Amino acid sequence: MTESSYRRHPDIRLTSLEGEGVVLHLRERRYFSVSETGLVLLEALKESRTFGELVEGLLSEYEVDRETAVETTRAFLDQCLASAVVVETKT
Amino acid sequence: MLPIPGISSNNPMLFAAVSQWLAESRMPLPVGLRLRVDVVEVVPVEDDPREIFPQGDVQIRAGHPLGWVHLTWKRAPAMARIEESRPEAHVQLSREAAADLDYLLRSFLLVTLIFLWKRDGRYHVHAGSGIDPRGRGWMLIGNSNSGKSTTTALLAARGWQVSTDDIAFLMESNGKAGVMGFRSPIALRSGGLHLLGQAGGVALTARDKTGFWPEQLGASWVQTVEPDIVVFTSVEGARTTLVPMLPGEVLKGLLQWSLWVMFEPTAAQEHLDLLSRLGRQAKCYRATLAPDLFAAPGALEDFLP
Repeated sequence: MTESSYRRHPDIRLTSLEGEGVVLHLRERRYFSVSETGLVLLEALKESRTFGELVEGLLSEYEVDRETAVETTRAFLDQCLASAVVVETKT
Repeated sequence: MLPIPGISSNNPMLFAAVSQWLAESRMPLPVGLRLRVDVVEVVPVEDDPREIFPQGDVQIRAGHPLGWVHLTWKRAPAMARIEESRPEAHVQLSREAAADLDYLLRSFLLVTLIFLWKRDGRYHVHAGSGIDPRGRGWMLIGNSNSGKSTTTALLAARGWQVSTDDIAFLMESNGKAGVMGFRSPIALRSGGLHLLGQAGGVALTARDKTGFWPEQLGASWVQTVEPDIVVFTSVEGARTTLVPMLPGEVLKGLLQWSLWVMFEPTAAQEHLDLLSRLGRQAKCYRATLAPDLFAAPGALEDFLP
């Protein structure tokens, strides 16, 4: 059975100010804003993470139910994969 | 004039001109940085597949997959190579490029130095800077038509300490984000000159502007400012206004005017971290600047008690 893991693209840099983040994609030379939750996920994605690990990370950081954490993580990952901010590896 | 360490050239006149320019700017090359500027019969044309990013007359190719920064000039044959992992730049100029000295220095060579200084932790930002009579550090950020120079000239005439009206470099300063000014005349267009009502100055003919050294306006020059207040400027309407900015706006605004961070991975994280440090340490405002600023006795500082 294969499992996907996720990691930030090596050309991503990010910084934050009072919970508001900015992500810089050096390869594509563009930047965009990211929410506080997105920042937490992108910080975690500095290392390779499975979907489940990302969900657990959100649950430990915020007082949210599992369903919300799963939906938030899925939506954010989909956006990041579509814009090449995160890369997926199947193992 | 003493030679500035780190600079070399095969052309004594060019060497003298570059050395004098950097000495006047009060930004000599830090120890370890090397800039070689040669005049050559044929400027080499490098095979470089990377996308070109125009910055005025300078064409920039940088980052993946070659690493080194490749600059060419549209005005005359010239190329510069700034190494990815060594603080070295090699500029090769045609005789035609070298003859266009004034423009060469503040266009092609300035961009070369922007990439070279980045390798020493100094990051260019389009900004003016100064210190108000209450000791607060200010930064005015915006494009070349956003009122930075006219406002800087006004503040100089009101006795502020002034660093620069346009060419600034972010750097770490005493554990804070500081901004170092590239000393050059405050350059005013005719509209700004009229508002200021100041006679004299030096005609900057090629730029259709009039230049004033800060001292000519009654100010003292200061090299480094640690900003307490950052103002994103634009010229608009009849009344000057300042509106506080939200954190997300601040970060994106700072990035917009320090876009060199986008070109290559070299020091990109350090550059970003310095921008967010600046956003944390300073109160940030969006300002519309208007002629009423020239009638207010306290100028800009009265807007922020």
